[in-house]
Amino acid sequence: MFSRPIVIAICAVGAAVGIAAVGVLTLGGGQSWPWQARADAEWQVLERYCITCHNDIDRSGDLSFERIDRADFSKHADIWETAVRKVRTGFMPPLDAPRPEPEVLDRMAAWLENELDRAWEASPNPGVKPLARLNRQEYANAIRDLLAFDASAIAAELPVDVAVDGFDNNARALTVSPTLLEAYATAAMQIGRRAVGDLTMGHGETRYTAAAGRAQRQHVDGLPLGTRGGLVVEHVFPLDAVYEFSVGASASRKGWDNPTGAMVWCDGPAVDVTFNGAPIDVRSPRRFRLRVPAGPQQIAVALVDDERCAGVNELYLGEIASPGAVQSLTITGPFDAEGAGDTPSRREIFVCHPDQGAEESACARQILSRLATRAYRHPATPDEVEELMAFYRLGRDEGGGFEVGVQYALSRMLTSPRFLYRFEHEPEDVAVGEVYRISDLELATRLSFFLWSSIPDDRLLALAADDRLGDPETLAAEVERMLADPRASALVENFASQWLLLRELDEAAPQDPGFDGGLRAAMRRETELLFADLLRERRSVLDLLDSDYTYLNERLAEHYGIDGVRGSHMRRVALPPDSPRRGILGHASLLTATSAPNRTSPVVRGQWIVKNLLGAPVPSPPPGAEADLSAEAAESENLRGNTVRERLEMHRASTACSGCHGMLDPLGLALENFDLIGRWREHEDGYPVDSRAEMVDGTRLEGPADLRRALLARSDAFVTAITERLMTYALGRELEHYDKPVVRSIVRTAAKDDFSLHALVHAIVASDTFQKRVKTGADPTFASAVE
Amino acid sequence: MRYLTKKHLSRRTMLRGAGVAIGLPLLESMIPAGMRRASAAGVPPVRLGFVYIPHGAVMSRFTPGEEGREFTLGPILEPLEPHRERFNIVSGLKLAAAYVGDSSAAENHSRSSKCWLTCMPDGTGPSPASADQIAARHIGQETPLPSLELALEPGSSIAYATPTTPLPMEVNPRVVFERLFGDGSTPEERAARQRQLSSLLDAVTGEVASLQRNLPAADRERMDRYLTDIRELERRLALAADSPLAELEVPDKPAGVPSDFEQHAALMFDLLAIAWAADLTRISTFLVARELSNRVYSRSGVTEGFHNCSHHSEVPANIDRLAQLNVYHTRTTIAYLLEKLATTPDGDGTLLDHSLLLYGSGMSNPNQHDHDPLPMLVAGGASGRVQGGRHIRVPEGTPAANLLLTMLHKVDVPLESFADSTGLVEI
Repeated sequence: MFSRPIVIAICAVGAAVGIAAVGVLTLGGGQSWPWQARADAEWQVLERYCITCHNDIDRSGDLSFERIDRADFSKHADIWETAVRKVRTGFMPPLDAPRPEPEVLDRMAAWLENELDRAWEASPNPGVKPLARLNRQEYANAIRDLLAFDASAIAAELPVDVAVDGFDNNARALTVSPTLLEAYATAAMQIGRRAVGDLTMGHGETRYTAAAGRAQRQHVDGLPLGTRGGLVVEHVFPLDAVYEFSVGASASRKGWDNPTGAMVWCDGPAVDVTFNGAPIDVRSPRRFRLRVPAGPQQIAVALVDDERCAGVNELYLGEIASPGAVQSLTITGPFDAEGAGDTPSRREIFVCHPDQGAEESACARQILSRLATRAYRHPATPDEVEELMAFYRLGRDEGGGFEVGVQYALSRMLTSPRFLYRFEHEPEDVAVGEVYRISDLELATRLSFFLWSSIPDDRLLALAADDRLGDPETLAAEVERMLADPRASALVENFASQWLLLRELDEAAPQDPGFDGGLRAAMRRETELLFADLLRERRSVLDLLDSDYTYLNERLAEHYGIDGVRGSHMRRVALPPDSPRRGILGHASLLTATSAPNRTSPVVRGQWIVKNLLGAPVPSPPPGAEADLSAEAAESENLRGNTVRERLEMHRASTACSGCHGMLDPLGLALENFDLIGRWREHEDGYPVDSRAEMVDGTRLEGPADLRRALLARSDAFVTAITERLMTYALGRELEHYDKPVVRSIVRTAAKDDFSLHALVHAIVASDTFQKRVKTGADPTFASAVE
Repeated sequence: MRYLTKKHLSRRTMLRGAGVAIGLPLLESMIPAGMRRASAAGVPPVRLGFVYIPHGAVMSRFTPGEEGREFTLGPILEPLEPHRERFNIVSGLKLAAAYVGDSSAAENHSRSSKCWLTCMPDGTGPSPASADQIAARHIGQETPLPSLELALEPGSSIAYATPTTPLPMEVNPRVVFERLFGDGSTPEERAARQRQLSSLLDAVTGEVASLQRNLPAADRERMDRYLTDIRELERRLALAADSPLAELEVPDKPAGVPSDFEQHAALMFDLLAIAWAADLTRISTFLVARELSNRVYSRSGVTEGFHNCSHHSEVPANIDRLAQLNVYHTRTTIAYLLEKLATTPDGDGTLLDHSLLLYGSGMSNPNQHDHDPLPMLVAGGASGRVQGGRHIRVPEGTPAANLLLTMLHKVDVPLESFADSTGLVEI
């Protein structure tokens, strides 16, 4: 029904009228005749279609527009913003109420938005970014960039961070407790020991588990050809020492007509172990010890893909219950340490060393001051360095010498709130309630945590320390540099994986024999790679809705019923125009994460689309809604319906339910051809799949292609939605009504670059909300009023 | 423009100067933490435990028909038959706080667990913390760990240090092990680590003060809490340094989280029993699963997710299925724990003799999302203060806080009331 060109034209018309109206405004806020005529026209629309329910007597939704201030939009901006959003996304007027033509509603919404934007510009409000602690990912990344040390295993044992509003970097959710503090302090000590290479460190045990299931019978990407199953990991060995390796592998040991079970199939399955690609000779691959130099090594453990073994009669092979699998690799150590070796972290830390003639104390000072500048994100002050030197002396005097001293000081640095928290100090020469620019160093930190989920690098810090970062051209150049940097993969690992439910996918447990770890991994990679392309190739975010290619390996292609893809690595595959796999709504990752363990869930899918692709707030069920459903079900003996869809019809039957489910269900029902793990199906339990649905505004859908087109027709809503998600992530706080004008402005700017992800990022960084704050001062009551 | 008022200052002074590691409104009846609880010679301290299971239960099969001592255990609690004399079923309690607020399903569920031990609507007073944390401030101060929070699923907490600060509940047995026994292979190493940790924390305390300048008020408050938490941690370390960890028989360190639910549960309960036996802590909360969990318990014979099962829509086959899951949970959690405690010697008896455990849920009928009557049972002898073997039916609408207050009294926490309590329960 809608197609893109018409919507753009309407917006253009609306904008044109808006611009014309602004053009003739007087300073007093618009009492000129053209403005008033337009305003009157829009109020008429409001009165005819909104105030019929939202008036002082009926007060639907506890809201009345009757006596709201019509001249000063800043007065109830929060109500207006919610109203505009509901109109834009079709939630209001409700399904059963009279609606005008879509153009009329669009005009009114555009006019309201324009008024709200003007009110905001008269008194901009960037809000307040609450004090944020580093979450686990940020902590691990910061250590990586600070010390060239992989702390992911240590960070994985810190208490889990709670996600609020979809992201785990929400400042308010990052609370602290004595347990957490102890965990961070202990982690700091462990990292100190391992990064420096302390010969007295105790032995630890790291266990890697292989993806279970079918993956074990096929070649795993990254392992040597000619093997099957297994796993490949990069493990950081902290010292030159002996390590014990233990491979957990299973195989059936009994054969047919072999009562004693004494026949052994190749002494257990043949296991191949390689170090950095080179095979090593071990007597018993199940458990062996090896001397390994310090540093990162790539270890691969796999089964030799050979079903033949000496001494086994082929007749017996058919009876073997399981062909064997590698389950785990456990590395314990270090034992018999010889030395700290030459690891990337030691090279990063020891820019000088007494062994090379440097004077101990001066060298320590040099090391610590350099690292502190990075860790604290500002040039280290003499007091800060002195604090660290005190710990250096403590460690050195405990008998460990120079290196242990540095280690103690490092632990001190990593336990400091200056490292763990991102402080933003309020200048004294600004009045409370005034908007001010944050410092360049604070801006550098916001920028690096947004794009890299990590600390700023030396170049960014230098520009900021020199007060040059605030210059718009320099800032834009830095954003470009950062987006091109490999560290920008954090946007995929943290932003995309939370927004697109990839972390939920990790926890999903579908009751489907076709699902296993290998398929899950491929699903995840497909979505990650598509999103990563937005960064690497400056693509439009609309490519997420309708892409002419995707990433597949043999396993995933088979799952999708696509021929001609061989091998375990993910590669780009073109998709024809009628392919249901175009865009994320065809990705098995999202389809699985929005399903129940034993069936699809159109409501969950619809809800995700409404929230994340249309940006509409999803209302809660009214009180008593659930009671109604079960009562009706009890009366009808059974939950009638052969298919999930039929059972959902109850949502239509009850008026209490259809108001909202009329918006949610159709979007999910249009995807019913995708089963609970994203396979295409024409039948569900023998009944033909019915993917017809009607959206709130009457748009008829049948199948995912129609849904895709409908969403593309509402691309403004989609871009607004993704901008809001990105801003929530960038700021580490939930968005408020006073952020919406900024969102609109960002969307308008990004339109000029075809809505590329790059343009969105640039516009967010350039916004007042990202670069400024409101001073709240020392009075807590003022602070809570602002928040 | 308003400036710092004296009121604000004195609250901070109270925090700093009092020497008590608590940064919250003081309870009038609080005993200063430094004072060791006088215990009668030879009477072992009572251990307090709270085990939470979400999504209520099929109440008709949980609650026995008869009251008093002569009752038949319903199918859901049938696995507890061997320990019949060591627990009381308490029926009829209500968690009023869980009804307050947004009526959406998600909020309703999450309130059930959040309010279970606070009995107050999310984030409000007057109760300053959850019942276990209040107990921790009284009887937890004498052990290296005031309390231990454990869970079999991440992402939720039932223990609240303040109305808005949930405590993280640990899922990984290896991390729990390291927290109990320290990080390091030998006792000397462990001691050295503790010393280093202490000096670190001491230094950080001084640093925070200088950071407070020029911070917005809300951020300053967070730093205040940070400071409080550091002091608390230092205090615990000092206690741990005194306790004879070197003499403990430390078991093998677990590798990580087992993939099998039953193994995971057993391991965590074993660690809890060790922690209690060694007096490393006396208080614990345990989350079997979080509200809204849709986990499939494959060894229970039920293949549908937990939350989905809980919405049975009154269909008999679905009710049977939920009940099957309820029985499975009883068997693998509380039944296992009671057996473990009953067979662990403690002083002149067993750990079960000297503990007081609450097992239950903040939700009653999960299909309706209601919060009364709650499925609850209280187990353990509380060092002779509690007699088991009864089904106690309280008047309809009795606040769950009454039971929590009673439990707190049994461990000598002298509160007059707790949250919305109106009295005590005769357990």
